[in-house]
Amino acid sequence: MKPRALSHETLIAALSGIAATLLVGIAILIGSRRLSHFDAALVGYTFATLFATFGIAYRFVMWLQRPPTAMYWKRGWQVFLRPQSLGRNFVLWVRRMVSVFFANSFIWRRGWIRGAAHWLIMWGCILASAITFPLVFGWIHFEFDGDGFDRYRAFFFGFPTVAFGIESLLGFLIFPGLVWASFLVIPGVMLAMRRRMRSRDTLVLQSFGEDFLPLLLLFAVSVTGLMLVVSYEWMRGYAYEFLAITHAVTVIFTLLWLPFGKLFHIFQRPAQLGVLFYKDAGARGEQALCARCQTPYASRMHIEDLIEVERQLGYRYDVPHGPTDHYQRICPRCRRLSLALAQDHLWRASPTTEP
Amino acid sequence: MAQQPIATLDIIQHFGPHLAYSDGARLDRGLDPDRLVKTHCCFCGQQCGLQLKVKDNEVIGFEPWDEFPFNQGMLCPKGVKRYLQGAHPDRLVSAQERAPHAPGGFAPLAYDAAIERTAAAIHRIQQAHGNGAVGVLSGASLTTEKAYLMGKFARVCLKTPYIDYNGRLCMVSAGVGNKKAFGIDRAANPWSDIIGAEVVWISGANIAECAPITTNYVWQAREQGAKIIVVDPRITPLARTCDLFLPVKPGRDIALFNGILQQMIEHDWLDHAFIAEQTVGFDALAEAVREWTLPRTAEVTGIAERLIRQAAEWWGLAKSSFLMHARGIEHHSHGVQNVLGAINMVLASGRIGRKNCGYATITGQANGQGGREHGQKCDQLPGARDLANPEHRAHVAKVWDVSPDDLPQPGVDAYEMFRKIERGEIRGLLSICFNPLVSLPDSNYVARMLDKLDFYVAIDFFLNDTARHADIVLPGSLQEEDEGVVAQVEGRVIKINKAVDPPGDARQDWKIIQDLAKALGRPHGFTFHNPREIFDELRRASQGGVADYYGITWEKIEQNYGVFWPCPTEDHPGTPRLFERGSHNPIANGAGPFYFPDGKARFHVAPYSPPTEETDAEYPVIFTTGRVVSQFLSGTQTRRIGPLVEQYPEPRVEIHPQLAAQLEINDGDWTTVTSRRGEITLRAQVVKTIRPDTVFVPYHWAGPKSANRVTIAAQDPLSKIPEYKVCAVRVAKAAAPPDYAAQLEPQQ
Amino acid sequence: MPVPADHFFFIDPHRCIGCEACVQACTECDTHKGHSMIHLEYVDRHESPQTFPVVCMHCDSPTCAEVCPADAIKRTDDGVVQSARKPRCIACNNCVLACPFGVPKMHTGMELMMKCDMCYDRSSEGKRPMCATVCPSQALFYGTREQIEQLRPRSRPINEFHFGQQTIHTKVRMMVPRESAVTHLDVMDSMFDADAPPEIDNTDDLMLAGATFKLPVVSQR
Repeated sequence: MKPRALSHETLIAALSGIAATLLVGIAILIGSRRLSHFDAALVGYTFATLFATFGIAYRFVMWLQRPPTAMYWKRGWQVFLRPQSLGRNFVLWVRRMVSVFFANSFIWRRGWIRGAAHWLIMWGCILASAITFPLVFGWIHFEFDGDGFDRYRAFFFGFPTVAFGIESLLGFLIFPGLVWASFLVIPGVMLAMRRRMRSRDTLVLQSFGEDFLPLLLLFAVSVTGLMLVVSYEWMRGYAYEFLAITHAVTVIFTLLWLPFGKLFHIFQRPAQLGVLFYKDAGARGEQALCARCQTPYASRMHIEDLIEVERQLGYRYDVPHGPTDHYQRICPRCRRLSLALAQDHLWRASPTTEP
Repeated sequence: MAQQPIATLDIIQHFGPHLAYSDGARLDRGLDPDRLVKTHCCFCGQQCGLQLKVKDNEVIGFEPWDEFPFNQGMLCPKGVKRYLQGAHPDRLVSAQERAPHAPGGFAPLAYDAAIERTAAAIHRIQQAHGNGAVGVLSGASLTTEKAYLMGKFARVCLKTPYIDYNGRLCMVSAGVGNKKAFGIDRAANPWSDIIGAEVVWISGANIAECAPITTNYVWQAREQGAKIIVVDPRITPLARTCDLFLPVKPGRDIALFNGILQQMIEHDWLDHAFIAEQTVGFDALAEAVREWTLPRTAEVTGIAERLIRQAAEWWGLAKSSFLMHARGIEHHSHGVQNVLGAINMVLASGRIGRKNCGYATITGQANGQGGREHGQKCDQLPGARDLANPEHRAHVAKVWDVSPDDLPQPGVDAYEMFRKIERGEIRGLLSICFNPLVSLPDSNYVARMLDKLDFYVAIDFFLNDTARHADIVLPGSLQEEDEGVVAQVEGRVIKINKAVDPPGDARQDWKIIQDLAKALGRPHGFTFHNPREIFDELRRASQGGVADYYGITWEKIEQNYGVFWPCPTEDHPGTPRLFERGSHNPIANGAGPFYFPDGKARFHVAPYSPPTEETDAEYPVIFTTGRVVSQFLSGTQTRRIGPLVEQYPEPRVEIHPQLAAQLEINDGDWTTVTSRRGEITLRAQVVKTIRPDTVFVPYHWAGPKSANRVTIAAQDPLSKIPEYKVCAVRVAKAAAPPDYAAQLEPQQ
Repeated sequence: MPVPADHFFFIDPHRCIGCEACVQACTECDTHKGHSMIHLEYVDRHESPQTFPVVCMHCDSPTCAEVCPADAIKRTDDGVVQSARKPRCIACNNCVLACPFGVPKMHTGMELMMKCDMCYDRSSEGKRPMCATVCPSQALFYGTREQIEQLRPRSRPINEFHFGQQTIHTKVRMMVPRESAVTHLDVMDSMFDADAPPEIDNTDDLMLAGATFKLPVVSQR
C-alpha cells in the first residue's frame, strides 16, 4: 500500500509550513504596528508560536495529501459550495458549529465524564488562547483612558475599541480572564485524569506521550499561571521571576508539542463538518445497491469515491470476471454472510459429514 | 380468597415484569469490585461455573470462571446477563398482603406480622379441615438444603402428605424410567464421556437453546470422529449441521426407539454377553418389538424409512455411544415409556458403564437433579428413599427425631393437588420457587383453582404471575443471597456461594420456613443456624440410600470442583460414572453394577400409544411447546432482564410455509391457535424448520401470551408429567390484533 | 502489555448455534462499555436456523485503517487492529464500507466507529476475549496452536482470504476441514458461483425429504 512519493508530498507540506509561518509573522508585524506594541519579554512565546505554526501546517498538509483525506477534503468543499445547497448548508453549518463544536454534544453521548472533561478543557483553552495570542503578538493592548488611572481602553491591531472601568463588570471579566480559563481547564484535566486512571479500557490503551503529556502540560500551564497571579496579588511578587520562567517554559513546551501529539486533533476535527455535509449530499443523491442483495447500503458517490481511494492506496478489490466489477459493490452484511457461507460449504462438502 | 386483588394490568404496573439494564455502577468500568465470588449460574441444570463481581453488597457484573471443569468459562446469554436480576426495581423487599384498594393490589406488611398471619391461616385451615388441607408446592431451583427442608417441613411441621415440586414438569419421566431400568435416577456418565463416543444420539433435546454448554461437548465429539444423530420435530441449531436428522412427529418417539431396536435384533447388532450377564427381560422385549418393522416405524413416526435404517445402522454398529434426551421425549402422557424405549436401545447395545459409553437425561432446572433426590417429591424421602417403604421411613424418622408413624403417607403430584383444590380437599397453599400459572398446562384451569383457595402464601423474590393471587407474599432470596449445594446435570454436587445479603426485609428461604415452623408452634427440627447445618443433617438422612451424600462435604466440593454422588464415606472420591463393572452399590451389594438386588438392569416392554389428544377435523394441527435460549422456564427472572428480553421479546408461532400457505398466513401475521382448552393469538413466524403438520410456541410468557392456555393437562400415569409436547389445535389468521398488543410490553 | 504472540483467535462459524452469548458478553467487556462489537446474524431464518458470528479478523494490512481519513484506526504491534481513537474519528463511515469482512460498527449518535478489539483490556492481560470465553459452541475459540490442534483433529486453520484480486492475511484464523485442499477462501467466487451448492443448506430436503406427513386439511372458517 505504501510507498508513496515522499519527496513531493514533503516538499508541498514544507512549503505550506513556511508560508503559514510567514503569514503569521507578517500578521504580528502589522498587528503590533511594526512591533511598537510588542512586548519584548514575550519573544519566547512568539518564536514558539511560529515554530508551532510551521509544524501544524506541515503536518496538516501532509495529512491532507493522504488519499482518503484528500478525497474528503475535495468532496467536502465541493458539496458544501454547491450553489443549489449553499444557503441551506450555511444554516446547517451554524447549527452544527453550535451542537458539535460549542456544545460537544457527541462527546457527552460517549459518556458524561468524558463530555464534561472535554468541554471544560476546550473552553478553557479557547478562552486562554483568545486572550494570550493577541496580547503576545501585540494585536491587543490596553492603555489608560483619559486622565485618570481607573479606566482602560482596549486597542485591537492598534485601533482603539471599547473603554471600561477597572472596577466595572467588564473589567472584572476581562483582566482575570486567564484565571477563569484555568478554572475551566483544571477541573477538566482532573476529570480526564480520573477517568484515565480508573477506566479499564483507557488503562490498557493509553500511553504517556499520547494521553497523559497533553493533560499534564495543560495542567502545568494553568497552575503556574495561577501561581503567578497569587504571587503578585497576595504575596508581593514572591518568587515571581521563577514562576514567570516556569510558566513560560510550560507554555512554550505546549506550543511546541501541538503539531506532534494528541492536541493536533484540534486542527483535524473540523473535518467532521465536511463529513456531515458529504453525508447530506450522499443521502440526497443516488444510492448504491448491493450487487448481491440489491438493497441500498450507502450513497453511490461514497462507494465510487472509496473505490478510487482504495485504488490510490494500492488495494485491488477489483473483480475481473464477475457479476460486478469491484468488491466494494457488495454491502457489509453480504460480505459477512458470504464468508460464513463459503466456510459452511467447505464443511458440507467434507465427506465425513455426509450420511 | 386467593383471587387477584385488582386487574392484572394494574398489578403489572407496580410489580412488573419491568426490565433491568446495565447502568449506574454496572456500567462504570472504572469501578473495581470488592470481590469476585466463585459460584454458579442460577438458571439451568448445566450449572455453569462463573464469578460474580460484588461491590457494596450489589452484584455489578460477572467474570468467567475458566477453571471450573464443566464449562471452562463458557456461558449462554442467560448466564452472562443473570447478574441483572439483583438490585432490580421489581424486587420484593418487604412482605406484601393482598390489598384491593392499594395501588398495585398489594400493601407492604411487617415481616413478623406476615409470618404470624400465615401461621394463623394455616392453623385455622388445618384445625377445620385436617392437616392435609394445606398443600406445599416447591421447586427444583432451590438448593438441595432448601429442597430437603421443604420436604421435612411438609411432613414434620405441617404433617401434610401434600407436597410436590415443579420438577414434576421437568424430568420425572426420566426419573421413573431410570429407576425402573437401572434402579437409580441419575445421569449415568460425566459429560466428558460424550467426547470420544462414536455416535451421539440426541432425542427431543434442543441442546443449543436449552443446554447450550453441552453443544461444545457434542462438537468436540464430532471433531474426534463421532456421528451426531438428532431426533426432533424441528430443525434445531444442532440439527442443522448434525450428521443425521430424524424429523419425528411429536408423540411418536417410542415407535422410533422400538423400530431401531427391531433393526438391531434383525441385524444382530446386539451385545449378547452384556444382555445375558447384566440384564433381565430382553426376550419379552424382543418379542414385543417384532411388529416394529421399518415401514411401520416410518409410518407412525413420520420419518423417511432410509433415515431410520441409517440411524439404526450407525447406532447398531457403533463401538461407543452416548444417548441424551430431554423434555422432548419426557413431556408426554407416555413419557416413561419413551424413556424406557431409549434405555432399551442403550442396554441392547451394551454400551453403558464404560468410558465413552453413556446415557443421560439433560436436566432442566438449576437443581433438577439434586432437587429430586431429597424428599420434596410427593412420594420420596431424603437419599432418594421411598416414603412408602417402612425401612426408609424408619431411617429418616430417626434422623428427624420423630416417630415413623407420624410421617404422612405419599401424597399426589403437583397437578393433582390442583384437582384436590377443585374438590375442596386442599384449601390452603404455600408455594416457593414455583410459578404454576405459567408453567402448568391448561392455565385457565389453574387460575380458577387458585381463585378457589381459602388461603395462599407465596414465597418469592419477585411478585411472579401466580403470586398475584396470594393473600400473603413473603420476600424470599435470590440464589446469590444464600449458600448451599446443587447437583447439576451430571450428578456432580457443587456449591453455590453467597455473594450478597438479601435486601430490606427479604430473607433466606430456609429462615422463612423456620420462622413459619416457629410461629406454628412446632419449631422442633427447624432450628438450623445456617445451611451447613442443614446439609450435615441431610448427609445423615441420605446415608445408605441410593442418593448417598454422606461422604460429601462442602470442603471436598470446593477442592474437587464438585463431587459426584453416590459418595458413601468421607474418603470416597465420588462416582462420576455409574454402572462400571465391579462397582459396588448398596442395593446390589456386589451382585452387579445396577441398583437392583441382583445387580442387573431391566429391559421393559415399552408399548406405543398415541398422544392423548390426536388431531382431527376440528383440531387438525399438532401443537408443541419448548424454550428459547434467552429465556428460562416461566420467565419470572429472565423476563425482567432487558438484554435477554430484547433478544427474543415475545412468543411467536412457528409454522411451516406449506401450512401457512394453506391458512393464508404470512410471516408476522397475528395468528390464533385454539385448542379445546383455550386460545392464544401471537405473531406467526413462517419457517421451513418445523414439520408441516406441527406448530411450535415457546412457553416462557404469561397471561394472554401463555402457550399453556392451549396445552392439555393429560399426564403420564407413572411419572405424572404433563403432556406439554403434543396436543391438537386449530390455527387461523387472527381478524384483529389481540388486546394485549396495545396494553402490554413484550415481557409482561 | 501486548497480546501474547502464541495466542490466536480461531473461528468456526459452522459451529455457531446463534445463542448470542458472544453478543451479550461483548457488551460486558470494559473496552466496549455496553456496546456489542459482534455481528451475529441469521442467514435467513425462514429457511434455516443458520447463524454466523463475525468478529474482527485483524488484517495484517487493515483496509479500514488505510482508508481512514483521520488516522483514527491503529494496528498495535501485537497485530490487533484497535477501535477508532476517539479524538480523531470523524464518523465518516469509510472503514465500515471498506472492511472486506464487514466488521466495523458506526455509532452515529457518538460520531464514533467502534470495532472488535479482541477485548484488548482482557487479551493484553493474558485473558481470553469475552466472546471466545463464553461461546458455548466454541465457534469462537481463543488459545494456542497446540490447543486447537489437539481439540480439532478434523479441522485446520487458514488465514488467507481473497476478495476479487485482493489477498488479505489475517491474525484471526478460520477453521476449515482438515482434508479439504483449500489454502484460502475466495469470497467472491463462492458468492456468485452457480456450481456451488445453493446458498442455503438444503433445509427443504432436511425437513421435507426426511419427514412424511399429511398436511392438515384445514377447514376454511
